[in-house]
Amino acid sequence: MDSLGDTSGMSSSAVPVCSSRCLLSPLSRSLSRSGKSILHIDPNNYYGGADAAFSLQEAETWASSITAATDNDRGTFKSASITKPDGNTGLSFPRAYTLALSPQVIHARSKLLSQLVSSRAYRHVEFLAVGSFYIFKPTTRSSQKPSLVRIPSTREDVFFTTAIPTKAKRGLMKFLKFVLGYDSEQQLETWQPYADGPLADFLKNEFKMDAELQTYILALTLSLDGLITTRDGLSTIYRHLTSMGVFGPGFAAVYPKWGGISEVAQVACRAGAVGGAVYMLATGIREMEMSGDSIELRLTSGDTVKTRMLVRNDKNAEVGNGVSRLAAIVGSPLKSLFEALVEGAPLPAVAVITFPAGSLMTTSGKAYDYPVYAFAHSSDTGECPVGQSILYLTTSTTPDAKEILAQSLQLLSEAIDADHIPLSLFQMYHEHGRGSVASRPDGSIFNFPDASLSLLFDDSTLEPVHEAWKQVMGEAEVDTDYMTFPDREGVMDDEDMYD
Amino acid sequence: MADQGGSAHGIARASRVRTEEQRKVELDKIAKYRELEDQVRSSVARGDTGPDLFQLTSKLLRLNPEYYTVWNVRRRLLTSGLLSKPSAASSPLTASLTASPTATTTPPSAASSSSSLSATQPSHASPTAGRSGTTADSPVDEAKTSTADATPRAAAVVAVVAGQKKDFDILKSELEFTIPLLLDSPKCYWIWSYRLWLLQQVIDRLSVPVARRVWQEELGLASKMLTRDRRNFHAWGYRRHVVAQLESPRLGGGSMVEAEFEYTTRMIRMDLSNFSAWHSRSKLIPRLLGERGADDSTRKGFLDEELGLIREALNVGPEDQSLWYYHQFLILNLVNPVGHPTLTPAFTLEDRVTYVTREIQDIKELLEDYDDVKLIYEALLEYTLYLGQLQGRKLDGAEKDELAEWLQKLKKLDPMRNGRWTELERECGLVEMESFGN
Repeated sequence: MDSLGDTSGMSSSAVPVCSSRCLLSPLSRSLSRSGKSILHIDPNNYYGGADAAFSLQEAETWASSITAATDNDRGTFKSASITKPDGNTGLSFPRAYTLALSPQVIHARSKLLSQLVSSRAYRHVEFLAVGSFYIFKPTTRSSQKPSLVRIPSTREDVFFTTAIPTKAKRGLMKFLKFVLGYDSEQQLETWQPYADGPLADFLKNEFKMDAELQTYILALTLSLDGLITTRDGLSTIYRHLTSMGVFGPGFAAVYPKWGGISEVAQVACRAGAVGGAVYMLATGIREMEMSGDSIELRLTSGDTVKTRMLVRNDKNAEVGNGVSRLAAIVGSPLKSLFEALVEGAPLPAVAVITFPAGSLMTTSGKAYDYPVYAFAHSSDTGECPVGQSILYLTTSTTPDAKEILAQSLQLLSEAIDADHIPLSLFQMYHEHGRGSVASRPDGSIFNFPDASLSLLFDDSTLEPVHEAWKQVMGEAEVDTDYMTFPDREGVMDDEDMYD
Repeated sequence: MADQGGSAHGIARASRVRTEEQRKVELDKIAKYRELEDQVRSSVARGDTGPDLFQLTSKLLRLNPEYYTVWNVRRRLLTSGLLSKPSAASSPLTASLTASPTATTTPPSAASSSSSLSATQPSHASPTAGRSGTTADSPVDEAKTSTADATPRAAAVVAVVAGQKKDFDILKSELEFTIPLLLDSPKCYWIWSYRLWLLQQVIDRLSVPVARRVWQEELGLASKMLTRDRRNFHAWGYRRHVVAQLESPRLGGGSMVEAEFEYTTRMIRMDLSNFSAWHSRSKLIPRLLGERGADDSTRKGFLDEELGLIREALNVGPEDQSLWYYHQFLILNLVNPVGHPTLTPAFTLEDRVTYVTREIQDIKELLEDYDDVKLIYEALLEYTLYLGQLQGRKLDGAEKDELAEWLQKLKKLDPMRNGRWTELERECGLVEMESFGN
């Protein structure tokens, strides 16, 4: 590794970026392409930070490090544990798996995707379709086993489903139409009074939706506490509806192959390196000294760097309720979850299942008030071998969360196939605290949150990144150049036709 | 190219900002295209017919599939040399033999098993030719009965088989050539017409089983195009043409009505708003019921199902005209039995009245949630008038009140056609005629 010990070897306009998680990697790449000297360091010895994806070995190492860490070092993760049954379960070798720490799906109309396109990074990421969204239905008097019901979100879905009575279908259609025009003046008047209250109330009062229909709509928002506001809820559902069919019939969201968002981070890092940014893993900031408008950083590698601007993720603050996650590798392809239901649609690689708030009971007999969300990933994601799948379950952290997740896993397996309940080969549980929001404590330092806990990629997290870019670029900034890179010389799509 | 001028006054450039480099690249492309075009022109002028010219047309057509003259050049190259001469194929002796690429070329006398030779119709079959399969004079029989001149006969057979194989390869390759062009320009007439010409060549030159397989693949392609753009009515028309060919005796076909009906169901599931799919469906139903040998009770059941289907569709898409057209098709079937083919010939007047009345009731339910959709009021209006006509009576008071109400709504929702609504009000005796001079 080239020595960076000599500060004269590093221009004083270098911008160190700390942490290679999903948001910050494209930023460093973007700045590097715009001519800035970038040093990108990450205290982990892997890329991706809290958005990383691990092989089984890496997962075990990580879980141990979380358990062994002191409160100061641990950051926002805790209570990581791994269980796997003994004996020959059919678990393949560790590198055959890629477990995503913070799985997310991305709406087709998400700004992230348009940035990936304009920055040409899309070429290196393979996107898979996220197919059906389901609601979990527990056992009732009339049905002996739990089941999954598909949530209809297009007119054709509503037409085809037998799960909703005729009149309720009309109500649902009226709501879907409303959402498509929700930011028009007329619609605004209707929902403004409910803007900061729960979406559920708006649905009940203005659209006369019963509890069941409300859960269908709420499930599309993947809201962790089930209490998403009307303003945020309508915006999310609008994005879902308008994303439908954008990249092909039958799906509204995508998932990057080989570990999801972590792949985006990796790609950006590689591209950034090509562009001249310097990357150092297993390196953190040991000490920081401000003098005037310049910062001196003493790195754990022994190097010293002087800079005027620092972008970093803030692992310290633990503010508010985080999430508990359970990732389970199961020994079954779960084919019924990944069917393409529309002519010409690609086979989905991810399915989303919601356990609505109140549909589960704790062992003490109380109804569990939070929703649980499950992402089912087929082997098409590249995250596990053919014949197996991964179930990622997420819920808000509460005293009952761990037990509820285990229960959800069991019930979900029953609902998918009660006769051949898929065997769980490996499980990883952890808790992830909610970090701070993006901030800028003083002119030269930008703090970014450790991770987004959202299950749907949240476009609003891109704004602080853009802000940071603008500040770093200063006068040289040309806004239209942000995340827009022309092709490098010699790389054009249709040249060969003219030879 | 004209100089774009300096930006002396800092005026922002309009939309297409090209760098000097990009402009140069485009100029290069144009020059290359022109050169290619010149090469083709001069080659044709010289009377060339070789593979070089053929390659040139490939290049040029990839860049510009709309250049129909070049398609004609390519066609001429095929018929004047690349494809086998018609005389070889129309040998009355053996007609066509199975020309699959793996066909053997052993003389018929040697191969007594009929697995390598199956008698099929001659390539220029008479219209009364039967399906593919055995005919009275199979080449095996002929070969056996005329062993005296087996050698020239065998040679002719070999030539035919070889000719067919060559044609098959060429036509297949040509069809494949057009595919990427079609994907890029799905509505370019010249590409479609070239394909149709190729497919006709397939019928003319190849054996029935082979030709059939090619046309079946064509159906697959038509489906793919429709999946990409399901309201492309050119594609629907094309599909109907392909189906008609596959059903024809020329390709040894039978009715495909069931499969085509199921296809419309799949298309509707994909997109309710598919006018062409609903239209196709309506055209297929009479044939479908005929072929199924449906009796009266089956026909009633079928009508009930279709009404149920369209009602579900209208329940979620009442603003969609294509759905109302299909509903109207079903209603007219009930209302106009005299002189028109009907799905339910056994229905009595009472049956028809019951059905129409029920439809009107169901549509009124839609008003509970959709009170500003003009097509609903139009349908109610029309069907109420039909009911009166069916029963040969004038509208009663209650009906007149309803009609008046609906017409008021229509005037608000569809003011551009106020003339029509006012006219209807008068016709139904809903308004007093104004006396002039008051």
